[in-house]
Amino acid sequence: MSVDAESPIPEAVAAQVRAGQRLSADVVAHLATLSDILALGALADDCRRARHGARTTFVRVHAFDVDTMDRWQPAPAAAREMRLTGQPSSLDHALQAVRAARALSGGRVVRGFALEDLAVLGGRDGLRALVAAGLHDAAYVSPGPAAAALVAEGRHVGLGVRVIGATRVAADRTAWLLDARALADAVSGLVAVAPLPRVPDRLTPTTGFDDVRTVALARIALEHVPTIQVDWGRYGPKLAQVALTVGADDLDGVEAADDTSKGPRRAPLEDVRRNIAAAALVPVERDARFERLDA
Amino acid sequence: MTLTLDVLGTRILAGGRLSGPEALWLYREAPTLWLGRMADAVRRRKHPEGVVTYIIDRNVNYTNVCTARCNFCAFYRTVGHREGYVLGFDEIHRKIDETIALGGNQLLLQGGHNPDLPIDWYEDLFRGVKAKFPDFKLHALSPPEILHISRTAKLPVPEVVGRLVGAGLDSVPGGGAEILVDRVRKLLNCYGKASSDEWLDVMREVHRAGLRTTATMMYGTVETDDERLEHMLRLRALQDETGGFTAFITWSYQPEHTERGGEEATGVDYLRTLAIARLVLDNFDNLQASWVTQGGKVGQLSLAFGANDMGSVMIEENVVRAAGAAYCMDEFEVVRNIENAGFAASRRTMHYEQLGTPVFRQRDVPRMVELATAREDGDDSVPAELVNYQARSAAGKRQRGQAPPSPVA
Ligand code: SF4
Repeated sequence: MSVDAESPIPEAVAAQVRAGQRLSADVVAHLATLSDILALGALADDCRRARHGARTTFVRVHAFDVDTMDRWQPAPAAAREMRLTGQPSSLDHALQAVRAARALSGGRVVRGFALEDLAVLGGRDGLRALVAAGLHDAAYVSPGPAAAALVAEGRHVGLGVRVIGATRVAADRTAWLLDARALADAVSGLVAVAPLPRVPDRLTPTTGFDDVRTVALARIALEHVPTIQVDWGRYGPKLAQVALTVGADDLDGVEAADDTSKGPRRAPLEDVRRNIAAAALVPVERDARFERLDA
Repeated sequence: MTLTLDVLGTRILAGGRLSGPEALWLYREAPTLWLGRMADAVRRRKHPEGVVTYIIDRNVNYTNVCTARCNFCAFYRTVGHREGYVLGFDEIHRKIDETIALGGNQLLLQGGHNPDLPIDWYEDLFRGVKAKFPDFKLHALSPPEILHISRTAKLPVPEVVGRLVGAGLDSVPGGGAEILVDRVRKLLNCYGKASSDEWLDVMREVHRAGLRTTATMMYGTVETDDERLEHMLRLRALQDETGGFTAFITWSYQPEHTERGGEEATGVDYLRTLAIARLVLDNFDNLQASWVTQGGKVGQLSLAFGANDMGSVMIEENVVRAAGAAYCMDEFEVVRNIENAGFAASRRTMHYEQLGTPVFRQRDVPRMVELATAREDGDDSVPAELVNYQARSAAGKRQRGQAPPSPVA
């Protein structure tokens, strides 16, 4: 991209990133301090385009919140994935939720919860029971010292894990990214990173600058992870669309029901496609296993 | 000459002016982040001190009765409608008291085209405010409202402006511009309230009278991208002539609850539009971020796409809220967003004079105050003083107990 305004990113670093090479932890930490988030975003966009071109995937998800089980409805036909959200209070609670979601899923993939939240409920046996009840994948695993072992444990009993994610905002976002990178080094098959937290801090929510910086840095620092995700339902069309211009290539959490009654921030299929196209990108629907549906 | 990003980027960075075709090419072809970085470079050249400003004011809509019936508007009520209202002078004074208590220094006063409010109602309102609150500023009456008063009073615009300034008008908001292209205005049913030339002529008169004004653009309805550019170029030409605009504010059409309906333009569209405005409007010092319509996050990102002002810490806003925009930030949150983006925050006046540190750092102010909006639901009281002003509509006369019009009025 031709940018004439002076970039604060040294050309040697930019060249390293564009060549798909790994940046040192110090360089990542330095990039995280730059206030010129658009220079960072432009570099991340170069990487994203080198890997995916203009293609932008999205997945339609039907969410089941474990705290509102009495109000669950069968999933709409358009849903490609069932997603259990929230934090179950016990293994029984989790099992009950998985069975109920499975019953309403029409045979589609059921993913849900943070792997670490499931593991504390009942260890390996608990994970095995959840798989037997119908849970295909943990929705994500948070990076940390025990994460690689947890993924191995889950996979051993048949529980898939494909996404590295964050439940809450990390105190040190650079450290979080470096931990995520180490996890993706240690464990194969982690195809996506969702760097923005699932549960916002209500008192001090992350800002637009924070989110753009985090997404762009994730793309730049995790050179070996194919997909950088943003959650459409949680972050809303405006921020999610901007994220697509600074390194993200996948929209998670698109509501499956084609219904506008919940307001414009819970947008239906057409709105997702419109927003992707309006960012000069090409929308492609995918399924729960990251398989493109146009292929 | 073939247009390229390098050629135009070099010109922009050297402070050169973009032609209409060049700006249109960039708007259509330039990558979003390239536009943003250019706009940011221009913002930095104009505001090297790294300060982002905001104003604490209160947006009061004095009446929702309107004969204009713009089809993008969710706010107005027709003459005689049971939900139509006019605020009383006492109520407006009370709102000013509350605004001052929160550190505010100005009322942004706009309303519908109410045929039953004659020019002396506005003059009495302004004089009353100035008598009670001499230092408080009145940023009031967009060009179509001034034109409406001129039409109902059968007085030329310069005379209306002179009388309003004499009564206490301090500055004029740039509302009602929508898109300054008559094809678009006809489709939006807002050509009748003011054609493009009429809007610009009113602004010219206001600038001649020595007042400063803002300029706005509401996009995302029926206009083409070259019509958005035409709008900006017309503003740039008037600014070359008068230098009277303090700031430019753009926002996307908010479709909810409007007759027109449809979808809202996207966040990237907003940031591109803001950035191209910074590049085209090279004679405007200030660009505001519209976080009310874009949300806090994209609102803050505006500061990387050419904006140097976070606009108003909204205490009250009925027109946009009626159309579904529901974002809210108090002074604490506005300042947090400014500082998080790497800028120093400063309160300001409408004339962009900096007023210093945030009020909440000087004294305790409540967070996220819930003040009454223009009119509480179910409140259908009529201000007592309205009987002193001659209504023009049959419904207005009935309500005020006034005689039918004389046949030779
Ligand atoms: S936008 Fe203003 S002039 Fe148009 S209908 Fe609404 S209140 Fe009336």
